[in-house]
Order: sequence, then structure tokens, then C-alpha cells
Amino acid sequence: MSSPVPTDEPTDLELIARWQGGDQRAATQLVERHAESVARFVGSVGAQVDVDDVVQDTFARAFASLDSFRGESSLRTWLFTIARRLVLDRRRSERRRGGGTRMHMEVQDADAVTEYDALDAVVADETERRMREAVARLTPTQREVFTLRVGEGLSYKEIAEAVDTTEGAARVHYHNAMRAVKEFLDD
Amino acid sequence: MTDCPDGDIRDLLPDLLHGRLDAGERAAVEAHLRECADCRDELELLRRMRTALRRAPAVNVERIVAELPPYRAPTQHRPARSWGGWRIAAAVTLLAAGGTSVVVARRGDRKPASVASAPATVATPAPRELALAGGTIGELDDSELSALIDDVGSLDAVTPADVDNAAAAGPIAPTTSNGTDE
Repeated sequence: MSSPVPTDEPTDLELIARWQGGDQRAATQLVERHAESVARFVGSVGAQVDVDDVVQDTFARAFASLDSFRGESSLRTWLFTIARRLVLDRRRSERRRGGGTRMHMEVQDADAVTEYDALDAVVADETERRMREAVARLTPTQREVFTLRVGEGLSYKEIAEAVDTTEGAARVHYHNAMRAVKEFLDD
Repeated sequence: MTDCPDGDIRDLLPDLLHGRLDAGERAAVEAHLRECADCRDELELLRRMRTALRRAPAVNVERIVAELPPYRAPTQHRPARSWGGWRIAAAVTLLAAGGTSVVVARRGDRKPASVASAPATVATPAPRELALAGGTIGELDDSELSALIDDVGSLDAVTPADVDNAAAAGPIAPTTSNGTDE
């Protein structure tokens, strides 16, 4: 398996080095390159209302500790890891407050329809709406894995790093998710 | 929709979708797709799913960049003192042998008990006294420990040959609190 086709664009590591040398445009390039992916991931795991905040915090934390990023994994995978931790932290905070009014991180079956009724305003296409609803009905872990595999094209190894699991477990989650999606769409 | 029994090929469909297969893998998967309707259906499902999943919430890049912390170069930590392994061994050997340069004295009103010198001659820095509390290293206070560490550090001047000589001389019999041999 190969990584996405290389281009003449500077690599993430090159941009990081430029930013560390005082080039603010490099930071802008990095954010432009990865912010949408992070937002998609955060949105897919249920943090719909607070996506902006989570994405903002993800980059703030990542840039505050870029010295510790050695490039063993891709920057994007590392950003997903940070974003996921932030989502989990917010989920725990909501639970402690007994809330959950704004955050629907764990969209259960009963919640899914409500969550995606709200999305109908922006997702007009019926097929697309059904697709998103199918994903919303997955377990939180299945949803994370499925989103990273299908939406972002990450390998099982990268997914394992991002969601703190093993490659084997990621593969099982993916196939279980795919089976569940098919069953929902066949109904 | 049914599943193709070839799990390996199905595993590669998302990679085909995202252009992450090398030429050989891509050719193999595409050959399989020509024969397998189930995999073609699954690839089409993945394509639609990717479209649905890739509707990203709008992100404000300028705001994100404006909130980024300024870069701060990491502070340089003073590297820990590195002792060669043989020097540590030398320290242990010399202490076990009774030492020729470390005189152990009892704290308090007890009469200091000197450890008899080993017969071996070791070229070490000038000997000096080191007080030991109660006769065991574990009971040393900070200043005493610091002094002992300095003494061990001074073993930089000791060569491996010195260590061998000291070891060959054999250990010294322990002394009692009144300084007599047991």
C-alpha cells in the first residue's frame, strides 16, 4: 500500500520546520491542509455543535507540542489522536455535569434520528442522508474507525494509532461497521 | 447486498478508493472487480459513503491560525553526568575491598572506625576522610552522600589496571564498631 501521491508541495515536516523558524505562513498552510479532515472526524464522532472549538483546540495543542512530533506517524494521524482525546475529555465533562444537551458524542439508536434530522437541512440528497444515518447508528468505536477508513483513507495501522487500539481490532471494527451499514441500507 | 468471500480484496477497497495502492495491488484489485459484482457494489457504496462523510463543517482557518501559540524553542537541559561503566565498577570494587582512599568514620560520639587499607596500591587522588553515619551508606545524610559521590567521581583518575590490582588484593575483613576484626 502506498501513501497518497507526493506532489511538489512541501511536506508537513518541512512546514513545521519553517514555522519553528518563524514563518507564520507555514502554520497557515498546515492548518489549511488538515483542518477539514479534523473537522470531518470530530463531526463524525458526534461533536457536531462544538466542532469548531475542538478543531481549534486540536491545532492549539498540536502546535504547542510540535517539538515532540517526530514524524513516526503522519501529522494528520497525530492530529486525529489529539482531536479524539479532546472529544473524549468533553464527553466526560458532559457526563460529570449530567448534561449532554449540546454534545451528542455517543449517538445511540434513539438519538440518531434526532441528530440527523438536524443535518437534513444541509444534506438534501436522500441517499446521502441515509448514508450518514447508517454511520450514526454505529457504535462510537465503529464510527471512528469507519470514518477514518472510508472518509479519510487511513490504513489500519494509522487508525490504530489514532484511536489507541490494535491494527487487528481496527480491522474487525471496520468489517463489523461495514456489515451494519449494509444491513441498515438494505432495510 | 452480499459480501464477497475474499476478505483480503475487500480490505483493499478503501485504499483503492483513496488512491493508496501501489501499481501491483491496484492491478490485482481491479482484475478482481471485473469478475466480482459484490465488490463492485461495495466499492460504489464506499464511494457514496466517502462523499457523505466528507461534507465537512466549515472551518475558519484564519481564526485557528490566529489562536495558535507562538513557537518556543525547547529549553536545553544540562545533560546528566555520564560515567563510564567501568568507573562505576571500579567504585564498587574499591568500596567492597575496603578502599584505600576512603576512611570510614563513625558519626556522633563513637570513636571513628578506620577501615584497614588493602595492601594493594592504587593510584588515586589524595585520600580524605568521609564520615559515614552508623557505618552504612543508607544512613548517610545529604552532605555525606554528596561527599561520597565526589569521591567516586574522583575515580576518573583510576585506570582499569588500578581496578584489577585492587580486586586482585582481595576484600578486607569487616570491622566491628570498635574497630576490631570479627
